[in-house]
Amino acid sequence: MSSALEIEDRAARWLLRSEEPHWSKEDQAALDDWLDQSMAHKAAFWRLQHGWREADRIGALGQDEAVVRSSVRPHVRRWWNPYACAASVIAILGIGEFRAHVPERVEIARMDTPIGGSKIVPLADGSRIEMNTATTLRARTGTSREVWLDTGEAFFDVRHSNEVPFVVHAGKRTITDLGTKFSVRRDGDKVTVSVLEGKVRVDDGTSAQNDRSVIIAAGDTAIGLGTSTLIAPRSGARVEDMLAWRSGSLRFDQTTLAEAAAEFNRYNRKPIIITDAETASIRIGGTFKASNAAAFVRLLSDAYGLRVTTDPNAIKISS
Amino acid sequence: MIDDTQLNAWFCREVLPLELALTRFIARNWRVADDVVDIRQEVYALALNGARAGLPQQNNRYVYTIARNLLINRAKRAKIVSFDLFADFDDIDRDIDLFATHRLVEARAELRRTQAGLDGLPPRCREIVRLRKVEGLTTREAAERLGVGIDTIERQLTLGMRALVDFMLGGTGKITRTKSDRARHRSGGE
Repeated sequence: MSSALEIEDRAARWLLRSEEPHWSKEDQAALDDWLDQSMAHKAAFWRLQHGWREADRIGALGQDEAVVRSSVRPHVRRWWNPYACAASVIAILGIGEFRAHVPERVEIARMDTPIGGSKIVPLADGSRIEMNTATTLRARTGTSREVWLDTGEAFFDVRHSNEVPFVVHAGKRTITDLGTKFSVRRDGDKVTVSVLEGKVRVDDGTSAQNDRSVIIAAGDTAIGLGTSTLIAPRSGARVEDMLAWRSGSLRFDQTTLAEAAAEFNRYNRKPIIITDAETASIRIGGTFKASNAAAFVRLLSDAYGLRVTTDPNAIKISS
Repeated sequence: MIDDTQLNAWFCREVLPLELALTRFIARNWRVADDVVDIRQEVYALALNGARAGLPQQNNRYVYTIARNLLINRAKRAKIVSFDLFADFDDIDRDIDLFATHRLVEARAELRRTQAGLDGLPPRCREIVRLRKVEGLTTREAAERLGVGIDTIERQLTLGMRALVDFMLGGTGKITRTKSDRARHRSGGE
């Protein structure tokens, strides 16, 4: 039984009742009593009260909603094209004072994460971008939804819209959402797209025609380099491994130590360096916390008897 | 001593914007998904209790430290050995900086975010929330309008409110029902 959920439920009911017309002094006293019982009650109540007040904007939306419905364009998504609606509404109803929306400027926001960092960017349309370590991207919101992934890796959970597609540019490649959750990773020229749910279209940008585009679905991974694209299909497990970073983990399966070290080095400032080729080709498997290179290295020395020397600039591993 | 009005204002202004970061931090360090909301609730309560004596100087550090200590205590009680919680923190300032990077971007887009949150509600729930927020109907009036019981309206409103607030604070907005809600739902009620 989750007591937090029970408390939240009670707080919500209190809040709703307090808005009703017959709210009396006795009711208020009872609420104050309940709030005084525990700081957890106050926390839950104040949190809901804050959010519910923020949601009063719906009242503003609602008025315009009713007005817009009477205009001639029912299927234009209002929040992508407010000026057109505003103009038509004013023309039809001759409203003097119109509660205008925030003007829809096309802005490009630039975001980045440091080494070992991560960021979640909730977008206004309900989509979410999760940025991984050492990532820079630019996002434009407005009459189109576009993201330019300059470096690093990000996961996209997109609220699909047929009218306004969500497009990610990685180098020359374009990844278009077709109703999805997917990640894009850029290592210089190499672009890796992994689809968790739904489908995306990947264009390699070398030709104006659509013959150079592929559609990949849940469980597929597309790796593009130059004009080639390799598709590794239908492995949900592999895609989940590649997305383990979202919960802070790195998952390896028959991965060489060299590759594993390279992955860890994306997340930590002090690089792991493997000094000899034989050690570098040892294959390992397992799940590790990305930010804990020390634990990974400790396990290696215990499991494989490898030698670990740490100096201020690097962690060196040898046999 | 800080009074309730100041405490409330501080909580909404300084702590709630950290909800997204806090939720992620807890989820990464505690593998039982069902406990995350409980732990977050506890962090809020502890933060408020502590701030009663005096508002903290550095809010991010304050909330982060409370969360971390709470998780360590829980892990100890549950006899869980976790490298990460017990590891030496060589760079606590960096961790605190990273902790706070999830503050919601796009403050200006709140209006659209509210709309998106509403869109994410199940249709019936969304309608009932709309009647309340847009048309200003009381519970009784909404019940009459839709021809359902007052209990039903209250239940849908509480679920809708909780989901909407969760979404607006950066969460996914998925409605979590309490055990009694689930039992009622299973037995064929609304």
